[in-house]
Amino acid sequence: MSSIPWPFPKLGIKPALTNAANRRVRQWARKRQGIDSTVTRLRPRRVYILPTGVGLVFGLMVFAMLLGSMNYNNNLSFVLTFILAGLGFVAMHQCQRNLVGLELSFAGVEPVFAGQAAQFRVAITNHSKNARHGIRLYTDDSISELQDLMPGESKVFVLAVMTDKRGRIPLQRFGIRTLFPFELFHSWAWLHMDLSGLVYPHPADHTPPPPPTETAHGHRQHDARGEEDFAGLRKFHVGDSPRHVAWKAFARSGQLLSKQFSGADTSSQWFDFSDVPSDDVEQRLSILTSWIINADRTREDYGLRMPGAEFPPSHGETQRRQCLETIALFGLDGNDG
Amino acid sequence: MAKARGTDGSLLESLPWTLFALVFSLVPHFQFLPWWISAAFIVCGIWRFSIEKRRRPIPPTWFRGALALLCFLGVLATYSTVSGVGPGSALLAIMAALKLLETLKRRDQFVLLFISIFLVMSSLLREQHLWSLPYLLVAVFLIMTAWLRISSAAGQKARRSFSTSGRLVMYAAPLAIAMWIFFPRIATPFWSVPMDTGTGTSGISDTMSPGDISSLSLSDAVAFRVEFKGEVPAPRDRYWRGLVLTVFNGRTWTGNDPFRGARVHEQVVNSGRPVEYTITLEPTRQQWVFALDMPWNWTLERTFMGRQQQLIRARPIDQRVAYEAVSYLDYRTDVDLTEFARSFYESIPTQSNQRTQELAKRMRNTAGSDAAFIEAVLMRFHEQEYYYTLEPPPLGNNSVDRFLFETRQGFCEHYASAFAVMMRAAGIPARVVLGYQGGEMNPMGGHLIVRQSDAHAWNEVWIEDIGWRRVDPTAAVAPERIEVGRSGSMFNGAGAAWGFDMPSVLLHRMTLYWDAMNATWNEWVLGYGPDNQDKLMKWLGMDDPDWRKMMLTMIAIVIGIVLLISLVLSLRYRPPKRDRAAILYKKFVRKTGIEPSTGETPATFAVRVDGESVMPAETVDAITSTYLDVRYGPPNPQALLRLESEVRNL
Repeated sequence: MSSIPWPFPKLGIKPALTNAANRRVRQWARKRQGIDSTVTRLRPRRVYILPTGVGLVFGLMVFAMLLGSMNYNNNLSFVLTFILAGLGFVAMHQCQRNLVGLELSFAGVEPVFAGQAAQFRVAITNHSKNARHGIRLYTDDSISELQDLMPGESKVFVLAVMTDKRGRIPLQRFGIRTLFPFELFHSWAWLHMDLSGLVYPHPADHTPPPPPTETAHGHRQHDARGEEDFAGLRKFHVGDSPRHVAWKAFARSGQLLSKQFSGADTSSQWFDFSDVPSDDVEQRLSILTSWIINADRTREDYGLRMPGAEFPPSHGETQRRQCLETIALFGLDGNDG
Repeated sequence: MAKARGTDGSLLESLPWTLFALVFSLVPHFQFLPWWISAAFIVCGIWRFSIEKRRRPIPPTWFRGALALLCFLGVLATYSTVSGVGPGSALLAIMAALKLLETLKRRDQFVLLFISIFLVMSSLLREQHLWSLPYLLVAVFLIMTAWLRISSAAGQKARRSFSTSGRLVMYAAPLAIAMWIFFPRIATPFWSVPMDTGTGTSGISDTMSPGDISSLSLSDAVAFRVEFKGEVPAPRDRYWRGLVLTVFNGRTWTGNDPFRGARVHEQVVNSGRPVEYTITLEPTRQQWVFALDMPWNWTLERTFMGRQQQLIRARPIDQRVAYEAVSYLDYRTDVDLTEFARSFYESIPTQSNQRTQELAKRMRNTAGSDAAFIEAVLMRFHEQEYYYTLEPPPLGNNSVDRFLFETRQGFCEHYASAFAVMMRAAGIPARVVLGYQGGEMNPMGGHLIVRQSDAHAWNEVWIEDIGWRRVDPTAAVAPERIEVGRSGSMFNGAGAAWGFDMPSVLLHRMTLYWDAMNATWNEWVLGYGPDNQDKLMKWLGMDDPDWRKMMLTMIAIVIGIVLLISLVLSLRYRPPKRDRAAILYKKFVRKTGIEPSTGETPATFAVRVDGESVMPAETVDAITSTYLDVRYGPPNPQALLRLESEVRNL
């Protein structure tokens, strides 16, 4: 695809210069438009347009054809020249109209681990009676798929933004653009919704074993779950203790099932920030992340103790999200929503 | 970069369209291109398509380079130049073929489409016919469709690309028409380029050698069309003067002029009523300009009158030109002829055609006067067994002797040549004039068609006290050739050649209709130049049109049309009308003063509004349920009225 940093693409001339120009233009646009709400309708005033490289070549060609037609006084090549020139004008308006009136609404972003791409989802709705063609979203270093929107249709566009560290990944600005119909013009709009996504720390690669699980009885548990009360049967998974296999049920039905237990005797595994065997804060957070992922995967109960925050042992999606979010934002300025 | 670059089939959606557009823009070139270029293009097209289809790598760089060099040398060998329309189109075709082999990315195809636009343009420079306009419109439509295919999202239907590009070309049409009418035309070119259009099918050549060719081709191609301002002269007066041949070497007449630099202009004295007319001359690639004998005034630029009253243009006529002219049918030329000029117009090689020379001298003596001698020669052609035929037997070295005494069959050139030789042998200055004679009136267009088959040769003899006088020996042999013209008898039994008996009158009428359309087309579309534009501007009410006014008008009109198109587009893209229920509900939402959040249904919104207790809960619930009724229930006008009153009572 053609260059993303528009309006001043990298032409091989001083990149510092074009970068500075780009920055200026963006500051101007942001000041001019203000912050957008998470549901924004594109008004004509904020849809910009410039010719593309192909468009410039096309313009030069039409000009050369005009000179040729004048030279030969050839009226049919005048017709050809003027039809192409007319198509240029029409393409310009069509290109801008292709964006005007579209409604963009932020449709969320799932938290990711550092190193993964945060997938910002933006729904675009075409409220008009006519189809919109060749729409895509872009940021400085990512670009969504090219999609058409039929009348009344709403589609989700995904912007994948690479992350490298934990915390909040901001998406202050993204653009919507189109080259329709002939790639002669490039029409775009900038949106400043001030979005951000959550980035969990990268899980540590080499994790020390988590601290031993303790029960109320004070002895080690094989399994995070209590073994006191029989709670039911579930399908056997590789890794389930053979002691829990319901052999009687197997003899009856030929199906391997595991016994599940629950009870007051649930283990209380605590992950404590101050107990993590590492000196580096980030490394500790990484290890904690890794422990939580593993515990969550095996559906054990776990609790998290951070300086200034404590989550009693539990399991499930909410517990995982709360714990990981606390770790992700640990020590960062609390100006996050 | 020696690595072979593979294709992934991603061009399969657009490449066929690009190929189609290219082939379509090459169609008018096929008849002019050397066969190997057309073949190379077709082979490259099929080859590239099969590469894409089977996801094979494209041919390596060295191979393409060698092929490019080979093709370039081929063009050079064929044309021995690379400039001009012919070699230019050949190079474009080759570039397209080679670029095809190199095309790897989707956007590379833009280059191919640019080439096809240039190919269309060069075909227009070469030929302009009545069908050229529809052809170019279809070509633009196909090229722009291919363009859309290249830049559209994957999986888009071809039908959609067709309708979009058709719609955009239709929007562009009024813009093109406005620009075409108002863009100021200029008369003189910036630079001249060799025009090897290859269409100069003139029936007139610079020399005349009766007996060389054994038959005269009867091309019914139009030489020029004439529109008379007043009365149309009778067929026997319609001699269209072209060039004058003055030197005879025993076999061939040429137009050598020994008076170069000498001021021996022959004065012309006109009398009678002037004939005013406009000639639209098809390209001849020669310098001769035709006008009714004897031209007095003409509007064609860079055209002057030669010493023998022939009109000569400074550069060849390689494009259709239109000019007005005034001629006098009654005229007299200079009475005096210098000694030198006299001997020049009497000289013939003494060694050849001796029987003719003897005959001429004998007849001159018997006749007693020049005038009587001329009469006697014409009588000889008329009364003795001389035949007018378009397929005479070939003549040997002493062509005039053989014609006069043996074959006695020939067309205008034979008679004109024999007559001039006899005159000269008898001591009367004589020369041969080449041009056209007659022409057919087209009642549909009200103009005269002069065809290549109307080409004619006649004589001028110089008579003491009278000057140069036109004598047409062919008229003595075949008077009907002069009175009726040749074209009139051309369509007899034409249908028989196609295996059915088409009434020749009907066929003739159709041909005349077609000719009338062509004439109008030529005048108002192809011939739309400074003069026509000036006329049109005045008719449109612009006084004293100049290029500045036209340019400003053009810009104003173009801006107007663009605004109109913008309006049409914004109408096309406007949202559908919101229904009454939605408007009423929106009113209610505004009254609550609470902002609904995205994705919130009316029901959950109602719960939230009740929580805030800004208005009675029963009102909120009533409005919400009525709205949901109208919106999602079966059509119910009662419910809408209820909603209306509920919202009004807030």
